Amino acid sequence: MKNTNLISAIIYTGISLVAAGLFIAGTLPGHYTAVERFGGAAWVFLLCMIISMPIIIPLVRRKMQ
Amino acid sequence: MENQPKQWKKITLQIAGMTCSACVAHNEEALSALPGVTKAVVNLATGKASVEYDPAKVSLAAMRKAVADVGYEVVLDKVQLKIGGMNCQACASNIETAVGALPGVGRAVVNFAAGSASVEYAPEVTPISEISNTIHELGYDVIEKVQGQQALDREREVRQKEIRRQLIYLIISGTLGTLVMIGMLQPYWIFPQFIPEWLNNKVVLFFLTTPVVLIPGRQFFVNSINGLRHGVTDMNLLYATGIGAAYGIAVINTFWPDAGFGGKDATFYEAAALLTAFIILGRYLEAVTRGRTSEAIRRLMKLQPRTAHVVREDQEKEIPADEVLINDIIVVRPGESIPVDGTVVDGYSSVDQSMITGESIPIEKKTGDEVIGGTINKTGAFRFRATRVGRDTALSQIITLVEEAQTTKAPIQRIADKVAGRFILGVHILSLITFLFWFFIGFSLWFTPDSRMMLTPYSLNLVGSFGFALLVSVTVLVISCPCALGLATPSAIMAGTGKGAEYGILFKGADAMETASKVKAVIFDKTGTLTKGEPSVTDVIALNGDEKEVLHLAGVTEKNSEHPLGAAIVAGARDRGIELEDADNFDAIPGQGVFASLGERNLLLGNRRLMQEQEISIEKLIPAAERLEHEGKTAMFLAVDGNAYGIVAVADTLKETSAHAIEELHRMNIEVAMITGDNLRTAEAIAKQVGIDRVLAEVLPQDKANEVKKLQQEGKIVAMVGDGINDAPALAQADVGIAIGSGTDVAKETGNVILVKDDLLDVVAGIQIAKATMRKITENLIWAFGYNTLAIPFGMGVLYPFVAQLVSPELAALLMATSSLSVTLNTLRMRGFVPAVRRQPKSAAVPVKAGMQAAGQ
Repeated sequence: MKNTNLISAIIYTGISLVAAGLFIAGTLPGHYTAVERFGGAAWVFLLCMIISMPIIIPLVRRKMQ
Repeated sequence: MENQPKQWKKITLQIAGMTCSACVAHNEEALSALPGVTKAVVNLATGKASVEYDPAKVSLAAMRKAVADVGYEVVLDKVQLKIGGMNCQACASNIETAVGALPGVGRAVVNFAAGSASVEYAPEVTPISEISNTIHELGYDVIEKVQGQQALDREREVRQKEIRRQLIYLIISGTLGTLVMIGMLQPYWIFPQFIPEWLNNKVVLFFLTTPVVLIPGRQFFVNSINGLRHGVTDMNLLYATGIGAAYGIAVINTFWPDAGFGGKDATFYEAAALLTAFIILGRYLEAVTRGRTSEAIRRLMKLQPRTAHVVREDQEKEIPADEVLINDIIVVRPGESIPVDGTVVDGYSSVDQSMITGESIPIEKKTGDEVIGGTINKTGAFRFRATRVGRDTALSQIITLVEEAQTTKAPIQRIADKVAGRFILGVHILSLITFLFWFFIGFSLWFTPDSRMMLTPYSLNLVGSFGFALLVSVTVLVISCPCALGLATPSAIMAGTGKGAEYGILFKGADAMETASKVKAVIFDKTGTLTKGEPSVTDVIALNGDEKEVLHLAGVTEKNSEHPLGAAIVAGARDRGIELEDADNFDAIPGQGVFASLGERNLLLGNRRLMQEQEISIEKLIPAAERLEHEGKTAMFLAVDGNAYGIVAVADTLKETSAHAIEELHRMNIEVAMITGDNLRTAEAIAKQVGIDRVLAEVLPQDKANEVKKLQQEGKIVAMVGDGINDAPALAQADVGIAIGSGTDVAKETGNVILVKDDLLDVVAGIQIAKATMRKITENLIWAFGYNTLAIPFGMGVLYPFVAQLVSPELAALLMATSSLSVTLNTLRMRGFVPAVRRQPKSAAVPVKAGMQAAGQ
């Protein structure tokens, strides 16, 4: 159970971090302020966490069983 | 179930804190995810979870933790034990450790000074006997101090606590939310004349909104985080992100107006506060209207007598009923309750078994007859030998059956739960897409400094790409908040239940209403439901003299009798205006009839056996008696001075509206069946009278639920209409249990629908109201989904490139409120609804056939 939770957390946090990272990368060519760049990344991270958690957790549970 | 290995067990857990179908999904998913759990079914109405599990793989503690992790609480049974033999605190600690280690024990606290222990436990996992044995084995004496009813009291307490909690939240959020709204409106229209300027101060609004978000709104944040950790999304999440983002932007713009979020004027406190208030209102209404199913068990338990008069060592002793042992001889006097099941060994009496069997006529009991625990002895005294005690009694079994039936739920509910989860997830995906689009593409393409928010004074000239995209993203979340979706069902259910109440039809919840609207078959219990449940004189046949004289003499004979059939004859005579003088002599002949004398005349009234024993020739009356018996009536022979004189037939009569109600149900293409313990001949005779084509006869009380199940297995949604505790398992097993007003309180509580009046047309009216309500729910859902389908694109900013205006989160909240209002107004149209069966004039009622009416009427 603990393993499942940990693996899930690693995956959804990873996905969200990647999404936030991609967002920051996407802002690099443009003229964005730090507030825009990092504030946007934080919002993307939050929404990605909300979206990915309910998808990843049951998926990992199914794979682990 | 048959394929399960033997080690699988089933446990029913009481879960506190559930408010909606999403909570059900939370708990089901949390429990199902545990290794070793094969099936978890959670019922919102009862607040119970039925879990099938492997005790070798999963413990009660793990289940409690899984439930706690998603924000709810497993409420265990609590028992108070009196412990003797403890000498020191170490004894108490030992007991605590040993009992606490038992698999079904949640918590054990031993008080050395008081010599008592309080144990929270799950009886299905660790029964109280195991706890007692463990303490015994440690060398201490132990006695249970409390009744099982405490568990029910606690259950009710939990429910009341939830209602109180949501009411307090509603008062806080409603009051502060209204103040915030007034404050936000202050600068506009004529309001400056009435509203003080300080109320529009952003810091004041911050202090008014913060308690709303942190106190009533806290539950949304906690529940959504707990849910996310277990991989489930619900409306809590949408509420939390919507409220959180609106509040967050408002706070930033109040204290850091230059942070790039729209500036000082772009605060959305009212959106956060009112959103919370609306949601809490829904929660409160739901908590109030949810089922009170545990009351049924409570009333059943109340039937269990507390004491018994047991004969031990030739002495009669009064002991607690739960200490009666099998083979104990128990004395029962007139008016007393029978403590356990048993067989009469001595004495004669009549026993009111209506609370168990549903039969209104007290049953004669003599040596060798069985008596049922919880029933009431009426006239004589008798002794009986206990054959079934404790959990094995008929009453206890009925209680268990009702409990089990109540933990199941309709599969369609699960589909609805899943759809709700996907909708919310979809909204978040849409919000992310919107944010990315406006951040990277939309802002640079279309943003102009003179951009504004619709219908607000807020200017967006200071907003950057992040603030702009975030505003649109949050607007999508707020505008998509399924408040209208949330209101669509409960508001219609409220209207439907209110409409039902007008007609004396009480629905216990949305599920009852929904299922009632889909009913394809209705099963009526016979006695007390289709019939009046009171015996009355139906036919009088005279051999020598007129019918009035036969009834007169029969009435005189029975005047001093306490037998229900005798009482029916006396009442029948008086109803026809016959004066009944007192008999000179009276003597009851148990199981046969009565003897009386009036002046010079000797009167005898009773069954065939009585006539045979008294050598009275009744040949001429036999054909008529057989005909009456064929019609399901009890024929009683009257003899005067040793000669047959006539017959008085007594039977239960059909209710006036039974036939009409069945005709209406047939008209609605609903199959109608009758269930009864009577023999097939009698049952078919009655069914024919009312137009019922399917008869389930000779069904024992405990088998009624099985008969309902059989009909359900034919793929039909079944409604069971009945009364009496014996109907309770069948009412619970049916998709819709309709308890009729003439039934006992227990059966009423067991039913999903309660008919206050004793009128079967209310069954028809109830189904019609349910259908109308479901139609209203469908309309509301179309409104609500229609709103979301139209509003979400506006929220996403499709109009911005053309008008340079954005829908503000505030306007989004207003639109959301409007959609809720439209749904409510649509629901209000139900106020004028009249069930079709009640629109018809009374004269349209189909008259009950004359043969079933009392003779002479």
